[in-house]
Amino acid sequence: MPAFIKSSCVISPQHTHHAEGFPAEMKEVVANRLSCEEPDYKSLINPLQLRRMPRILKMGLAASQLCINRAGGVSPDGIVVGTGLGCLDNLEKFLLEVLDNNEHVTSVLPFINSTHNAVAAQIAMLLKNHNYNVTYCHRAFSFESALLDALMLLQEKQAHHVLVGGIDECTSDFVHLHSYLGQWKEPLSNFQLLSGKSPGTIAGEGSAFFMISDEVSGGGNDVNIAGIHTFLTSAPADMTDVVRESDLFLEQYGLRKQDMDTVLLGLNGDSRNDGLYHQLMEHYFDSNAQFLYYKHLCGEYYTSSAFALWLASAIMQSRSIPDVVSFNSRSSQSPENLLIYNLHHNTEHSLILLRYGRL
Amino acid sequence: MGPRVFVTGVGLVSAIGNGTEETLDSFRLLKPGIGKLSLFDSVHSGIPVAEVKLHNAELAQLAGIDIQSNPHSRNTLLALVAASQVFSTSGWTNASGERTGAIMATTVGGMDLNEQHYKSLLESDQHKHLIDLFDSADCAEKVAAHMGIRHHVTTISTACSSSANAIMLGARLIKNGRLRRVLVGGSDALTKFTLNGFFSLEILSATGCRPFDKDRNGLTIGEGAAVLVLESEETACEKNIICEVTGYANVNEAFHATSSSVEGTGAIMAMSRALETASLKPDDISYINAHGTGTKINDLSEGRAIDAVFGSQIPPVSSTKAFTGHTLGAAGAIEAVFSCLALKQGLVLPALNFTNPMPELSFQPQKAMESRSLKHVMSNSFGFGGSNTTLIFSKV
Repeated sequence: MPAFIKSSCVISPQHTHHAEGFPAEMKEVVANRLSCEEPDYKSLINPLQLRRMPRILKMGLAASQLCINRAGGVSPDGIVVGTGLGCLDNLEKFLLEVLDNNEHVTSVLPFINSTHNAVAAQIAMLLKNHNYNVTYCHRAFSFESALLDALMLLQEKQAHHVLVGGIDECTSDFVHLHSYLGQWKEPLSNFQLLSGKSPGTIAGEGSAFFMISDEVSGGGNDVNIAGIHTFLTSAPADMTDVVRESDLFLEQYGLRKQDMDTVLLGLNGDSRNDGLYHQLMEHYFDSNAQFLYYKHLCGEYYTSSAFALWLASAIMQSRSIPDVVSFNSRSSQSPENLLIYNLHHNTEHSLILLRYGRL
Repeated sequence: MGPRVFVTGVGLVSAIGNGTEETLDSFRLLKPGIGKLSLFDSVHSGIPVAEVKLHNAELAQLAGIDIQSNPHSRNTLLALVAASQVFSTSGWTNASGERTGAIMATTVGGMDLNEQHYKSLLESDQHKHLIDLFDSADCAEKVAAHMGIRHHVTTISTACSSSANAIMLGARLIKNGRLRRVLVGGSDALTKFTLNGFFSLEILSATGCRPFDKDRNGLTIGEGAAVLVLESEETACEKNIICEVTGYANVNEAFHATSSSVEGTGAIMAMSRALETASLKPDDISYINAHGTGTKINDLSEGRAIDAVFGSQIPPVSSTKAFTGHTLGAAGAIEAVFSCLALKQGLVLPALNFTNPMPELSFQPQKAMESRSLKHVMSNSFGFGGSNTTLIFSKV
């Protein structure tokens, strides 16, 4: 069952929300945390609601609304969201209120808004959409799980159009706590993320929504999400495990590793995690493959593969690869089979297979 | 469509016991698990709660974990205790094969540890080794490791319907041919965070919840965990089969962030669509394990929905939350296990604390435990954000 990307909207640290394709230029900043370039919410969300709305809800409602508009206003038959952290900002707010004020809570709103499924639920409420509605919260599998669920809804003929989102918001406390674990580099140019050999990466965030559909667009440049695979390994991950899983995964679609002309990798500059990507580029994937990377543009966050899906889809649709994401100089300008591979903390692995056209 | 999906193993721990035997005994003796808060100090200590009567050290021992050297959240420990039970009940072997998955559910994950250490972590890195344990994915990953599962591991969080959705997803993964066997379930530990959340929503009962009673005054918050082993008919071993998952539906009421509509629109849709997927009529259902939290609005909304869907032929209805409290992310799985046990044992499970019928409804909850042959059991789970899920389990 094909699953085409009918439309998308990505709010990210880049100027990506204005249109589905690449922005004119990607932003370079010196930091160890990238924050989203947010749209003007007033034109997208009722100003009365906007005033008290947590930022993650704004990001989720705006991106989903734009995505639906770009899909011609179709009403989704399912809404599936992945979020590693959920509505963390409100969770922290409510938690601190409980802990600081000896359980004398002044406002219950942060508790209500801390619920992990708040984004998916608010979208449904706004659209008065009664259909299937689920939220996945599993670190670097959150978005992949949501995408797989959407593919199954199409396969089950329960849906023609499914709205799928990957959304995470970075908070100061999250960055602070995770700095104890050596997660972040010293501030650096995001374009230099892969240049050193130090531990740590750069924190990021984003809200990416896609309308996944079983209908072809008619334009002929359709991107088909052929399959998704997730697996766990003990840390540090061993290349032979990844090779085995990847071979078996591709085999299901009658493909082999050398059929992957383009590979989008989750390289994040963390010397503790990146070694495996390099091993795979050197010893597993075809030496003629075009390798791409993306986390210097969006930062590291649990649902960054949603940003990767947008990037991959923009590349396939435009038949062009921006230099800023090319890892090697080989340039196949017309990807047919594109594999997204992400590794989180040496244990969580995900593969997303995209095929161009009506395969 | 697709292979049949059987439940071939169950495990649970709640305020009314560890394992199916203790649980059934509590039902037989009409012995609720609701009592005084003992897990932590709170200004709300006068409000009754439903705690699992085992300390973390005891839970760790049951799961075979040394928490001195390897700290775990209470949330994860509860899930590991429940999961460990399926080794003996389902013939589960660790040789998981390629097509075995694990789907867990939770609302606040390792919040029990988070709230103990959050303030000190803002000041110093002394407890930094605990940070990763706060995450909602921690439980599923530890359960998966415990059970030898490496593929299709994920976590669902849809408030109080979370683990019902985990069961539905597991069944769909098998029907789709993606998996042959999947461990599904949910867990939530009692926390200051959720206790205060529900307290500030003014929906906690001061006396212990009284589902479907005219004078009900709120819910009682509980804790626990449950898992089910779902297997494809192609591989399930007949002697392990407890019952079949025949129906499921997930709908969104799209009405309010924390409340249901008084007409029960979402609940009507969830129950009706679950009946459709199971190809059953309302009068095929032998017992309804209701969501029945004991809040004014839930029981009115769900009760009216039951009236609307079942009309003049309402089967026995009970909410087991007067025994276990509302275990949030674990409730769907715990009550699914109750539904499986009810089918297997031929028992209609009783309600408690019921005195006066609700004038708005045509039915009253089942008061006593009753032995009768059951064919199909319906289990409702509704949550914040309008998340409504209904499951149907059937005798094989």
